[in-house]
Amino acid sequence: MDEVQEKIFDIIAKEARLDRALLKPEEKLTDLKIESLDMVQILFGIEDEFDIYVPQDQESFKLETLSDVVSGVKRLIAEKQAASPAKPGAA
Amino acid sequence: MNSSNGLRVVVTGIGSISPLGHNAVDFWDALSNGRSGIGTTTCVDPALLNIKICAEVKNYDPLTHFSDRELLLLDRFSQFALIAAKEAIADSGLDFRSDLGIETACITGTGAGGFITLDESFEKMYRQKAQRIHPMTIPKQMVSAATSQITMKHGIRGPSYSVSSACSSANHAIGDAYWMIRAGRARAAVTGGSEASLTLGAIRAWESVRVMAPDTCRPFTKNRKGMVLGEGAGIVVLEELEHAKKRGARIYAEVCGFGMSADAGDIVVPSEDGAAAAMRQAIKTSGLNADQFDYINAHGTGTGANDGCETRAIKKAFGEHARKLAISSTKSMHGHALGGAGAIEMVGVVKAVAEGVMPPTANYDVPDPECDLDYVPNTARRKPIHGALSNSFAFGGLNAVVALKKFS
Repeated sequence: MDEVQEKIFDIIAKEARLDRALLKPEEKLTDLKIESLDMVQILFGIEDEFDIYVPQDQESFKLETLSDVVSGVKRLIAEKQAASPAKPGAA
Repeated sequence: MNSSNGLRVVVTGIGSISPLGHNAVDFWDALSNGRSGIGTTTCVDPALLNIKICAEVKNYDPLTHFSDRELLLLDRFSQFALIAAKEAIADSGLDFRSDLGIETACITGTGAGGFITLDESFEKMYRQKAQRIHPMTIPKQMVSAATSQITMKHGIRGPSYSVSSACSSANHAIGDAYWMIRAGRARAAVTGGSEASLTLGAIRAWESVRVMAPDTCRPFTKNRKGMVLGEGAGIVVLEELEHAKKRGARIYAEVCGFGMSADAGDIVVPSEDGAAAAMRQAIKTSGLNADQFDYINAHGTGTGANDGCETRAIKKAFGEHARKLAISSTKSMHGHALGGAGAIEMVGVVKAVAEGVMPPTANYDVPDPECDLDYVPNTARRKPIHGALSNSFAFGGLNAVVALKKFS
């Protein structure tokens, strides 16, 4: 099970009030007809969950399909960890 | 300029949420019975305060009015404005989703806007070192949020904006809406004001101005010790007379004049000349003579500076007739809702004119030789009102006075 993807799908389902079971990685965000307010809530929820900053421009963070979002978030998590590696013994 | 060179404007709907209740009926019941909504502060731990009283909207649960989803976008001041607007619009019977919406204005006043939202998000950032602020913080806290939310909820598509002039905000908004209809620029208007700024930081800031009473608000008395902070909203629906008549609307009262002025003096000390100028202009634009006025809902904050100054200003504006006027400060009951005050009081004046009942100045004990007019002490007075003024004077010397008269 992909933990990052599961969490992102949870956030999208909750904020856009969509049926969680219907979310598929290849799905386009435009096809889900997510309202702008909900999209802002989703990005805020993702930032909060993973403690990252999601850039606004599409070149740095593609927002076409759900798998784009998942891979973008994974990349941001990896960048963050590389910038401040966990200290030994830290939780 | 008098009422003969403009369209006539009437009030056809009223709504209120205040320390005296969650609707205009409860508000008027308290006001006309001299019942006060001032009490021990609960929204902030009183142990952190020197002044431990205020006038809060009590027993208020936002979830009985809005979904949690809606609340993401609604600061407390917008919630209050929406609740009062819903009541006033339903009361008027108007539907702005029709073409009327294009010809309807929405103008509301607030002093602080989404103060609580700003306070909460900055506290998270500065003290709890939060990494991010909620994305709806800006649209929730902006001073114009309440106006926008009312237009969105009710389909009002005409000239719409918010006004901010400290404690005169709501009266400036109502006055603008009145002029707009009088000039034929709008057929109807949803107008008033809202305030909800009772935070630890705001109350402490008011404490340091040293204008707050520690026990209660006693306007125009020798024992007055200052104002009592309040919160809430008032909204009225104004309508061009012929439009109202054509649909057989219930008409509460007529708004017949409006006066404004700036003291151009001190940032906190009021000027009797500025206040008198605004009252004179309200009288002049009303088409009534000064001696046709019977009642003034005073600014009457209960501070040492205001009440004496306002009394002198009334004498300047009305001359000998000042002695025949009944004057009351209903802030003695609902507190001072700052930018929303004029709107809460407007609902009271509209009812006073419609019912022929002058609400009292509560907590009136020892007369002050400096304030030697008739302040309707403690008990409401049943007496027909022909003309009435509703006074608002703000820090910074911005004055706004609305004139109303009995509709006939």
